[in-house]
Formats: sequence, structure tokens, C-alpha cells
Amino acid sequence: MSFTLRYDEEHAVLREEARRWLAERVTPAELRRLARDPRGDEPALWKEIAALGWTGLVIPEAQGGAGLGAVHLAVLAEESGRRLLPAPLLATLLAAKLIGLAGDDRERERWLPEVARGDAVATIAHVEADGAWEADATSAALEQGRLTGAKHHVWAAGTARLLLVPARERGALRLAVVRSDAGGCAVEPERGVDPSRRTARVRFADTPCAALAGDAEAAWRSFRPWAWLALAAEMAGGADAALAMTAAYAATRVQFDKPIGSFQAIKHPLVNVLIAIESLRTLVYAAASALDAGDAEGERLARMAKAAASEAYPFACSRALQFHGGYGFTEDCDAHLYLRRALASRPALGDGREHRAALAASLLEEVS
Amino acid sequence: MSEPIDELRARVRKWLRANLPPAPAFALPQNALTVTTDEQMRWLRDWQARLYDAGFVGAEWPVAYGGRGLARGAQRAIDHELARAGAPFLVNNVALAWAGPIILHFGSEAQKQRFLAKLLRADEIWCQGFSEPGSGSDLASLRTRAVREGDVYRIDGHKVWTSLGRFADYMILLARTDPGAVRHAGISYFLAPLRIPGVEVRPLVKFTGEGGFNQIIFTDARIPADALLGREGQGWELATATLAFERGASEGSAGASGMGGADLERLVALLRGAPPRLRDDAVLRDRLAALAIEATALRWSGARMRLPGLVADRPQALPLMAKLLATEHAQRVSELGCEIAGYAGTLWKDPAVPGSGDWPHGYMSSFAGTIAGGTSEILRNVLGEKVLGLPKTR
Repeated sequence: MSFTLRYDEEHAVLREEARRWLAERVTPAELRRLARDPRGDEPALWKEIAALGWTGLVIPEAQGGAGLGAVHLAVLAEESGRRLLPAPLLATLLAAKLIGLAGDDRERERWLPEVARGDAVATIAHVEADGAWEADATSAALEQGRLTGAKHHVWAAGTARLLLVPARERGALRLAVVRSDAGGCAVEPERGVDPSRRTARVRFADTPCAALAGDAEAAWRSFRPWAWLALAAEMAGGADAALAMTAAYAATRVQFDKPIGSFQAIKHPLVNVLIAIESLRTLVYAAASALDAGDAEGERLARMAKAAASEAYPFACSRALQFHGGYGFTEDCDAHLYLRRALASRPALGDGREHRAALAASLLEEVS
Repeated sequence: MSEPIDELRARVRKWLRANLPPAPAFALPQNALTVTTDEQMRWLRDWQARLYDAGFVGAEWPVAYGGRGLARGAQRAIDHELARAGAPFLVNNVALAWAGPIILHFGSEAQKQRFLAKLLRADEIWCQGFSEPGSGSDLASLRTRAVREGDVYRIDGHKVWTSLGRFADYMILLARTDPGAVRHAGISYFLAPLRIPGVEVRPLVKFTGEGGFNQIIFTDARIPADALLGREGQGWELATATLAFERGASEGSAGASGMGGADLERLVALLRGAPPRLRDDAVLRDRLAALAIEATALRWSGARMRLPGLVADRPQALPLMAKLLATEHAQRVSELGCEIAGYAGTLWKDPAVPGSGDWPHGYMSSFAGTIAGGTSEILRNVLGEKVLGLPKTR
């Protein structure tokens, strides 16, 4: 291990700023209001997010971004997850990162400034109907600048202006940038378990697009750890919020003349949740530091983080539901808001089982 | 000007190349808790003294008390190099991890001068006298009495699970000085000499077969009054601080072996070498990877603990988790090892099969970790109360 963990004053400042803004602007009442909204997010929120400079967080300074790294990304994702931010921030950050990795200078100049400014929400449309999510599993076809195919479970497709789509052109993997208003691009909102992150099916029928110049296979491989990291960090934030609300409830809810949190049947499982979350956060920040240092270990650490998040978040939420008792089963209790996000996040970018299978193969030296 | 860590590491490696001893003719125990024979003890004391003389024990402790006064991080770097070279363990580990730090933090000047350098060099061996037959997890119920009489305390009582007890010169001893006070308030903490009349050491037999476990019975044993650490009645506070050292909660131990990924590497090697019906088994592979994730999180938690910004939300969580997670992890690793080993994992030191018994032995031994120094169940109570703010159990 040739890198060290990094966490500096600038990271702490971003966390404070994010935590303060999110606590003020993203309340459970607002989440419930947006859950009933057909669009599912609030344009005013997005404007503020852009004004805070977050949309350009990982976009190079030359294209109007802040040019920051993985630890910053993890901090912002974790704090967003804590409040279930109902805005397409993660989708946009990750799409921008992938354009940065797969595009050449001219292409970065063409696409990224409007994303950095917050004028264009961006997202990656990469999931197949059968749930295959790796770029090389794509069934979309690219021919002479025209894209045909369908993608599923696309985050923020309803509000995105730019869609990044893996597609095959004469056998080679390419990454195509599509404007959502381009001809033949049809967005069908999905009905999802988690109203705080909207998804859609997107169909492309001979849709004009621009394929990025770089090596798409290599760009996707470099990109995946960033995506695992960001999602794992977001899930860590959500899991932590679910734990905090449950611990607070268990400390005050009295049955049999005692706060239920004094019973080991409640206390010990909550400590198990705590251990899962703190282990996850350790992995998240180890992965982030490795990615910022350009260390090859970053890929394995980020994979581990997503695997750990895929267990910790549903676990935290299941205990949150259960330990709130009858109240936990009501719409009024916030526990289900987190449970929904946990269920939706688990399969995204690979669930725990899938990542552990890959880790086992690498541990047993079956793959390079 | 302080020596850069890289140069310190190089110096340790160089010294080890010249001084790492060949294995003795007799078998060495696996750790300080299982030292059984006099010749093992002699050999291990000699090794610790040589390491101390070379400057590698107590590296961060003040020079005035026999340490080397090196910068924070030096001992960790030294320990890492020792572990990497496969160097033998330090036998005086109760002293290095618990008695030493507690004396350094809370001892009088005279006590620091008297004890610290000698324990670093293993000139005096220490053991711990907290638990009693009737007082395990509920330590505050302990019944050993200490009665002040002039310039001595008269000790009567029974201490158990005393590793190194047979070899120890001193014991960190908890005894009740005020039988009228409520539970915690009447307990005092002593740096008690053991080579005195009225102290009897009897062996306790472990189910794993190793020696090194003892009980110590005090019958009107008279220890000097200045063996008291801190004040009368301060014992519970000092015991809590000691247990924090024991659980890895506080920095400042003088040299200890860290929880590494060594067992996991053995487990990976075991499955890699297993027949295809096991090696290709999805369930075994899934569990192996889950343990690898756990080991990685454990390995990085030390580095995370040293970055205040990354533990700001719950400063006590990682330190209090460390012992619980490390010992339960080790138990899960050795248990999976037994399962993968299958029939071969049922052999116990069978001369026809070299290395047989390692996995079941590791698994059986792992319970020492999940019980000693606060059971996993007690540690979950502590975490729930101190970190999650849950009301006390009881």
C-alpha cells in the first residue's frame, strides 16, 4: 500500500457546508411533497446546488469545474445520502466524470462547461433490460452517428439534458453522448420503489449522437471505481441517518417502564449496524484516498465499499423499520424513506454478491 | 531533529538481519498467554531485553523512564517491521499493553522510576489480577480485600485467568479497600509484588491444551502501602482506563502485535489449494470475500482513527470497535478455515499430517479473544451506550 489516507481541512469544510445546506433545504416534508410530484425534483434546489459549485465538483478547472477528487466526491455523496437529496447530483457528477475520462480535450470543452454551470443535468444510461450494467454488456448499436437501442433504470432521465450511452459500433465499445431532445429519443418514466431518485426507460431509434473519441473500454474500467465509491458513500450516509434516527427513538421510546434501547435485543443489533456502517466508511475513505493517489488498489477498495454498502444500508434500514415498531410501519415514520433508497441502491452498479464473486476470483488469482 | 520513519524502518530491518535469533531447540509458544516452561520464558525474556537494548521497545516513551522519546508513529513502524520479519513476540505483554501505560499515565514519579524501564526490558514480568471466580463481566462485584495496616495492605482473595501468573513478579491488582462503599466506589488499584509470603499460584487448564493459565490466591499477603496506584477508591476509574488500553482504545502501548491480515492470507491459500469442488463453491467464495472485506476495513481503521476529521461524528466508535471486530473476525476466519479443511480439519497434531490441527486450534483459541478483556456482549453494551447514546442495560 503506497498511499496514505487523506482528509484535510478543505474536505471538512465541504462536509460542513453540505451538511448545513442539506439539513436546511432537504427536509422529510420536502421529500414527501416531491414524492407526489410527477417530476420528482425541484428546479430551485438544482439552481442552488449549481450555485454552491457542486455540479462541477469533479470537472476540470479548464472546463469551469472545481477539479476536485475522490475524497471530495465521497464527502458530498455521503452528506447527500444522509438527507436523501432528491436531485440528480450523483447522476450528473458521475456522467461528468465519465465524459472527462472518455473524451478528448475538444469533447470535454464541448460537453462539460454546461454541466459544470448546472445548465445541463447529465446521466449515464447503461443498464440493460436484464439488469446487466457493465458497459460491455450493452445491446445498443451505433452506426454513423446514430444510436439505436434501449436502456433501463436510468437515473434522472426525466430531467437530464445529456445522456451517456455505451453502445457497439462494428464490434467496438463506444460511449455516445445523446441530447435528450434529439430525434428518436423517448423517455418513459418508470414507477420505482424510491420516489426520491426517479428512473426511466430510454429508447433510442436512429437517434443522432456524438461518440467520444477515447478508448471506451479503458475509460469504463477507470470510471467504475469512482461510481462504486460515490454510490457507496451515498449509501453510507443514508445508512448512518437511519441508524441515528433509530438510536434516538430507542433511547426515548418506553415499554415495560424502560427505554427500549436499554434492552440488549435492541441494543446489540444496533451496534451491529454501527459496526457495519463504520467499516463501510473506512472502506469508502480508503478507496477515495487510493483513487486520488492513482493507486491500483483503488479499484479493489471501491468494489469492497460497494459490496459493504449493499449489505450495510438494507441492514440499517431493516432494523430501523423493525425497531420503530408499529410506528415504523406507518407512512409518517421516516424509516421507509431510507428503506426505499436502500432497496433501489443495492443492485445499482452491482450488488454485494456480485462484487464478492469478483473479489474472490481476484483473491484466488483467477483473473489478472 | 527526529529520524524520518523510513530511516527508522530501515534501521530496524538492518538490525533484524543481524540479530534475528534462530528458532530454539524447543517449541516456542504462539503468544505470551501460552508460555508454559521456564526455558521458554528465559529465551523470550532474553529476546525482549535485546530488542529493548537496541531501542525498539518503548520507542515513544519518555527517555526519563527508559523509553527512547521517538515521535508518534515510531513504535507502530517498528512493530510492523518486526511482524514482517516474523520476529518472536514480546513476552512481557501485560506490562507493555496495560501495566506500563497505566503507570505512565497515573503513577507517582517514584512508581514510574521504579517500574517502567524494568518492564520494558522484561527484567520484571507483570500479570493482571482483575477477574475473580465470581466476578467476570460484572467486575465491580469483586471481593478480594485490601486492608490498610500501618505501612502495608493485607490482601485476601482469589484471582483467576491469570496469564503469565506463574512467572510474574508483579500484578496490577484490583481489591476492595472500602467494603461499606457502593460497588465501584470501594475499589482500589495496586501494583502488587507477587514474590512474597501469602501468594499461591495454581495452574488452570485450558481446553486447547496449552499451559500458561493460572489462578492466584492471596492469604494474608502483605504488600507495601506505596503499592497503591492513585488514591484509595480510584480503582474503578483506573481499571476502566486499563481496559481501554486492553481493547486498543488508547494509543500509547509500548509495543504490541497488531491485528493483521495474516490469518486471511492463510485462508485464501487454503481455498486456493483446495480441490475444485471446494474452490469453485460459490458459497465458500462468497464467505471468503466477505472476510476479505472485513479484514481490509480493519486494516484501514487504524489509519482512519488518526485523522480526526474522519472520526469527528463518533470519536469513540473505532477505538471501542477495534477489539470486538478484530476478535470476532479472527473467529470467523478460523471457523471458515475449519470448514474448508473438512475432514483434514478434524485431525489434531496427527504426526502423519504436518500442520494438522492448526485450523481447529485457531478456532478454539479464538474464544480467548472474544471473552478476555470484556466479552463481545459487554463490548456491545459499551458501544451502544457510549457511542449510540442508548440507555444503560441492567
